[in-house]
Amino acid sequence: MSSLANTTAPAPGVTGARPRRRADGTAIAAAIYAALLAIFLLRQPGPLSVTLLEDLFNNALPLAIAAAGCTLVVLTRGFDLSVAGVVSLSNVLLVTAIGDGPWAPLTGLALVLAVGAAAGAVNGFLVAVLGLQSVAATLCTTIVCSGLALLVLDFPGGYVPPFMAETLMGSVAGVVPVAAVIAALVAIAWMVLRRTDLGVAMYAIGADEHSAALAGVPVRRVRLIAYCLAGSMYGLAGYMLTALTATGDPNAGNAYLILAYAAVAIGGTSFAGGRGSVIGSMIGAATLTLLQKVLFSLGVLSFFTGIAEGLVLILAVVILALGERAARGART
Amino acid sequence: MSRIGSDGGARAPGEAASIEPPVAVRGIGPHAPPRTDRERHLPVALCAMTIVLILASRWISPNFGSWDQVIAILTLSSFVLVVAFGQQMVMLVGGLDLSVASVMTLGGILMFGWVGGSPEALLWGIPAVLAVTAAVGALNGLAIALVGIPPFVVTLASGIIVYSAALGVTQGAPRGTASEALATLYRSSILGLPPVVYLLVALVALALVLQRRTVFGRRLYAIGTSREAAHIAGVPVRRTTIACYAISGGAAGAAGILMVGFSGGATLSMGQAYLVPSVAAAVIGGTSILGGRGDFLGAAAGAVLLTTFSTIVAALGVAEGWRMVTYGAVILAALLLLNTEFPGRRTAGRPSPR
Repeated sequence: MSSLANTTAPAPGVTGARPRRRADGTAIAAAIYAALLAIFLLRQPGPLSVTLLEDLFNNALPLAIAAAGCTLVVLTRGFDLSVAGVVSLSNVLLVTAIGDGPWAPLTGLALVLAVGAAAGAVNGFLVAVLGLQSVAATLCTTIVCSGLALLVLDFPGGYVPPFMAETLMGSVAGVVPVAAVIAALVAIAWMVLRRTDLGVAMYAIGADEHSAALAGVPVRRVRLIAYCLAGSMYGLAGYMLTALTATGDPNAGNAYLILAYAAVAIGGTSFAGGRGSVIGSMIGAATLTLLQKVLFSLGVLSFFTGIAEGLVLILAVVILALGERAARGART
Repeated sequence: MSRIGSDGGARAPGEAASIEPPVAVRGIGPHAPPRTDRERHLPVALCAMTIVLILASRWISPNFGSWDQVIAILTLSSFVLVVAFGQQMVMLVGGLDLSVASVMTLGGILMFGWVGGSPEALLWGIPAVLAVTAAVGALNGLAIALVGIPPFVVTLASGIIVYSAALGVTQGAPRGTASEALATLYRSSILGLPPVVYLLVALVALALVLQRRTVFGRRLYAIGTSREAAHIAGVPVRRTTIACYAISGGAAGAAGILMVGFSGGATLSMGQAYLVPSVAAAVIGGTSILGGRGDFLGAAAGAVLLTTFSTIVAALGVAEGWRMVTYGAVILAALLLLNTEFPGRRTAGRPSPR
């Protein structure tokens, strides 16, 4: 594995194998976010307060984590539709299964991470080992998980331990939102991951699976791990969503399918695999959440938000695809 | 699916040379692609399972297993069957249409709102609704075939857009009149069967002719088997793909129209329950999600089997959650069975050049 970079360098399709600093996608997402933030703040009556900051981070964090998970799979040239089912399942488990004890938030976290990882392991096994198409396999997992969520809790309701609903949604020392700290931790974990053999291998598989295999990348294992990590991220996203809404809903994750992929696209991650970044997707998620807020504050009717989400997803992908086509044209 | 992005001229030169000829030839020749034994036996097996299920249901309730119930199941299966036709056409070229639920709702709402109760209005109303829904499908196809966006992304987005637009236009409560003429499809009887049953038989026959006896049909299998080989053999890959998505949109719209005839109304959630069964029916009926395998006889038998299954499950009073879990497991099992039959064709990543 350590010789991976040397072996793959001459192969034509593997230019994306090394995590080069591709600031473009992330930078564009950040610029859009900044513009939206300016509009949003201008329409706010008061100055930027800690409460407002908490609000922005708390609302964006669940989607940001879910999108981060999806990115791991997209990088390896796959799609993971199980995000919707796993988020819903985590949400209903947290309001029904963990009780009220002092350790409840921690056991809850362990539970949803394990459930997510298990769903991811099933996905990874179906896709990496049995060779099923990722969309088909993960469609089945998401249907099963949504069904299980309905079995756990068949109507919205329930409550969560105060630690989750209050402390996690508050600020550290009254200044930095806890959600911002968690977002930073995820971002740091990603920056470490993409410099490890595993991270490099994920890019390599996405760019050209065949060359990666020839270069000695354990394709199946890396893909399996990517799906497992992604599943745990959906579990964590469900955890933060439950802290935010402080209640259970068996359909809580349904909206996440389109939103997470829109976030991935805005963040500049290529749906063809091998290019992109988790941080881009997280900024993309923040952008989408802020877009909803701005549209709402501008008095746009709520159904337009759905239309806007769909259009944003398609537009982001089209721009990305055209950009890639132009880049490919420039290289050859 | 992952192959869509690497369509046509987007590929690096020389890559096209690495195509396995024996697979690629399937469907391009002058004859319809030969059916394997499995493809021939599958519809029979599915029908046998349906009959066994119906007979077995006599134990659950004395009302079950009667001739009336058989007719009721055939009538109820009309919606899944029609949506599954479109879904299968898309799957044959290696795609997937997640927008069918929303487009079906759109078809129902337009039918309910535009056409209303007058029988004369049906003459222009039905073609108009079909044209609108097919246009939505064609837009999906355009984005997929011309821009190269993955089908699941495009149809997910268009599904949300169509649904939100329907929500906005109707303010949540579609207004209109039910068409009496449409209702006769379900309420009247010709030779002991509701007219819609004859419509379904006609659809199955037409679909089989389209898939197995026309140039267009052969192109579907050629594209689904190998997009590159089909392109080299002169198949208009993009145009055919767009046509498939247009058919899927139109079929979903037709299911919406039928639903208005059946229920006498339209709601915003009328299509929701039909996305998963449409994929399930096609897959159980032997359609490969990678494309190039399966025909509508199998998918139609799959649709009837699924409807029988859900009718019995509903009668047993089993929770909705279990039904979804079973659906997921059934699709997965069918996928795995198909996969073991063609282990060489995998697209977990890029198809292996060897």
